[in-house]
Amino acid sequence: MLQINDVHAGYGNLKILRGVNMQVPTGGIVTLLGGNGTGKSTLLKAVSGLIPLMEGEVLFDGVAISKMKPHERMRLGLVQVTQAKEAYPAMTVEENLVLGAYTRRDRARTLADLERVFEFFPVLRERRKQLSGTLSGGEVQMLVIGRGLMAKPKMLMLDEPSAALAPKVVLEIFANINRIAKTGVTILVVEQNVRMALILAQYGYIIRDGVIMMEGEAKKLISDPAVKESFLGGSVANTAKALRN
Amino acid sequence: MRILNKIYAGVVATGIGLTAAAAFADDIRVGITMRMVSENGQAYGQMMMDEIKGINEAGGIHGKMIKATLMNDECKSDKGVANANKMVFQEKVHLLIGSSCSSVTLPIVDVTAKAGVPQLVPHSTNSKITQKGSEWIFRVPVSGRYYGGVNAKYVGENIGTKIAYICAADAASVGDCANMEKQMKARFGVEPAYRADVQEKEVDFRSHMQKIKSMNVDGILVAALAETMARALVQSYEAGIGEGVRRIGSSSASNAPVPKIAGDAAKGVFFTAAYAAADQRPIAKLFNEMVKSRYGIHAPDHDFSQAYDLVRIMEIALKNTNFTGSLADDRTAIRDAIANVKGYQGLASGPISFCAAATPQCRDGNRTAVLIGYTKGGENFETEVLARVTMEEDFGLE
Amino acid sequence: MSFDYSSLLAFIIFGVTIGVVYGIVALGISLIYSGLDIVHFAHGEMYMFGAFFGLVLAHNVGVPYPIALIGAMVLTALLGMAVERVFYRRLTRAGGGYTVAGMGMIICGFGMSVALVNVAYFIWGAEAEPFRANLDYIPRLSFPGDIEVPESYVLTAIISVALMAALHYFLRHTKTGLAVRAVAHNKDIAYLMGINVPLMISLIFGLACALAAAAGVLIGPMQSVQVEMGYLMLMKAFAAAVVGGFGSLPGAILGGVMVGVFENLGAAYISPSHKDIYAFLLLILVLMFKPSGLLGVEAKVKA
Repeated sequence: MLQINDVHAGYGNLKILRGVNMQVPTGGIVTLLGGNGTGKSTLLKAVSGLIPLMEGEVLFDGVAISKMKPHERMRLGLVQVTQAKEAYPAMTVEENLVLGAYTRRDRARTLADLERVFEFFPVLRERRKQLSGTLSGGEVQMLVIGRGLMAKPKMLMLDEPSAALAPKVVLEIFANINRIAKTGVTILVVEQNVRMALILAQYGYIIRDGVIMMEGEAKKLISDPAVKESFLGGSVANTAKALRN
Repeated sequence: MRILNKIYAGVVATGIGLTAAAAFADDIRVGITMRMVSENGQAYGQMMMDEIKGINEAGGIHGKMIKATLMNDECKSDKGVANANKMVFQEKVHLLIGSSCSSVTLPIVDVTAKAGVPQLVPHSTNSKITQKGSEWIFRVPVSGRYYGGVNAKYVGENIGTKIAYICAADAASVGDCANMEKQMKARFGVEPAYRADVQEKEVDFRSHMQKIKSMNVDGILVAALAETMARALVQSYEAGIGEGVRRIGSSSASNAPVPKIAGDAAKGVFFTAAYAAADQRPIAKLFNEMVKSRYGIHAPDHDFSQAYDLVRIMEIALKNTNFTGSLADDRTAIRDAIANVKGYQGLASGPISFCAAATPQCRDGNRTAVLIGYTKGGENFETEVLARVTMEEDFGLE
Repeated sequence: MSFDYSSLLAFIIFGVTIGVVYGIVALGISLIYSGLDIVHFAHGEMYMFGAFFGLVLAHNVGVPYPIALIGAMVLTALLGMAVERVFYRRLTRAGGGYTVAGMGMIICGFGMSVALVNVAYFIWGAEAEPFRANLDYIPRLSFPGDIEVPESYVLTAIISVALMAALHYFLRHTKTGLAVRAVAHNKDIAYLMGINVPLMISLIFGLACALAAAAGVLIGPMQSVQVEMGYLMLMKAFAAAVVGGFGSLPGAILGGVMVGVFENLGAAYISPSHKDIYAFLLLILVLMFKPSGLLGVEAKVKA
């Protein structure tokens, strides 16, 4: 479904991604793992079109999308779920969800999808008239995922859905992601929570310093000592760097 | 019109060059400095040159030609003084004419007094011009000291004494307001019923109008530059102040933008001036037609009539001068000839007379102002003459 | 002399009627700021062009005043969108709408202001033009204390409030309005929602300019129309936007009304000769005690 070939990207003169290759097959759940500052978010932005590519190409459903504007990629069914803090706090829950369906013209189906989102996340139905700024962290995460679903995606890309949430809430959210995948939506989860992500996904990539350093079946990766080490190593290295500054 | 002005400016510049090079000792040299910044300014400058040309073509002054030099001072004192110095000392003119703005004329009075050159003032109204004690100064327009009196006299006797004042902060309007207030107090012993000092370019008079409306005044004096005045007039009607309350304009009310912008609100507004285009005398009708056909100006204001009268007075005086060939003697002779002009009847609303003493009584020759009312506003406005008032010679002097 | 409460009331009423006009211009400035991160210094000229468009439609074309109002709004919106598309967008990140050079944008706004004044001067000349509107069918309002509010002021206030209400409805209750708000808050997320962000930016600019044009057509009959009229309105509307809180739409309206009332009271009870400074006195007072403005939101964090 999604094919990323030798992608280089960054901000201004600063190159962060240095030749990333990835594939997300139709109907599967793939996870991209990495610590802070390894290039995860940059890759997401490059795929969704918020930053231009320096080199390489991105194919979605066999179509080259590298030159498309973000809203054009989104209309193809490639939908990025933003981090939870990027809900619109001054809008109500319902307005946020309606905004997710902005590109759609089929009003009746949109209303049906709204019901579907409320079935996935009943708490959103209770809160529909509330400003999203007043929701709890877990509720906002549900809101942004629900907002992504409203766009009727072929593929959802989630940016750290477990960030800053309690383990119990993370579990609930990941269960829901799994249910969404079962409805036929292809999923790419970008995560730092290695264990949870590898339990959820079928296949995993590990990114470090802007390149994919390891990939494989999730079942194999989860028990691979090198994964733990390299991942922790990355984290430790970054923490040490942060401390030095 | 703008293209015409450019061509004309070129002609004038050439004229200046020729004058300096080809001046015959026998010519009568006249220097003119005026404000020629607007379309009107260009037109009355051109009119003076055309009239002088007419005198020359009719045989000149006892066979002598008048060589006139016209310079633009743009209403700036430094330029006016520089122009005057150049003409008095380099071109050695017999007579200096200038200027339009009082702020320019005032310093030139000192130049001509020192050099001993007669000076005819075409437009300036500031009363101090003739109070400097110069023997060489003669004023053709009506002095400011008379205007305030005329307005106050007419208002107090015909409209009432309960007057609201709206006074904008520009120099002319501040003076007009102060004069009116002083004269109303002197003649009728009244203070303004309401007084608002507003900004020079104020746009919103509504709260003042509301206050004035509740006071039942006899009239409203609006002293402001043309566009500001027009806005105030419009808003006075919007506020619901009826036609029964007369609107009195300051000196800027004669400017064409007032009826144009105010439209219907200009109707009934009256003001004081030296000349009315609505004047029914044959000479005035002829003059209006001449200005319209030659310069395309609809309804000439007193800046035109005064420029015209000045040339005629100059012609009379020069014809009564015995030229000896000595520049200093000829200048003195011209001065004395102007002082001897008595009862000149031209476009001015009353006779113009000068006398020999270096006093304002003698040198403010024109003491008759005319009260003009708008009978129709808009682009093709119409006016009527409400009254002519001649003031006593020493009116308004301290 | 006892205190005259009815004239106090009159000053407040007139302050409000002019204040709502400042408010709709300020609303446009706020809208552009929140949508494009541009402090639009040429907005006074949009007001001026709106007034001239209305004047041309009413006098030269001869349409009725309400049609002239709508026509002027449409034409000015198109002018504003063209200016934004051709000039301002080059200074913002390719289609993304971020201001890359804040100072450059400000200078550009001033430059545009001067350029537009000169274009208007070339077309219409420097002299003020009267704007005659037949408003006899609007009733006068009477207030206690023998205060009558003339029809044109009533009309001005009604139309201004109606425009604010329409804008509110558009932003709160339509899908496109929702998208505009999304773009105003965060352009990246708006992109991810599939919103055509550059189109929304054009729309925001057009709306803001249409509001300014409405103010011009409303004020025209009262104050006549002149190429230099925009400067003073910009200053007042700018003060209103800052007083209310820059970027806040309800704040813009509140600020406009406050500026209108404050300057009328200042002119009445302190001195009318320097009426234009009261708006800035108010501005300084508000900024001293509440730097973000009365209804101001905290400074937005930009990516």
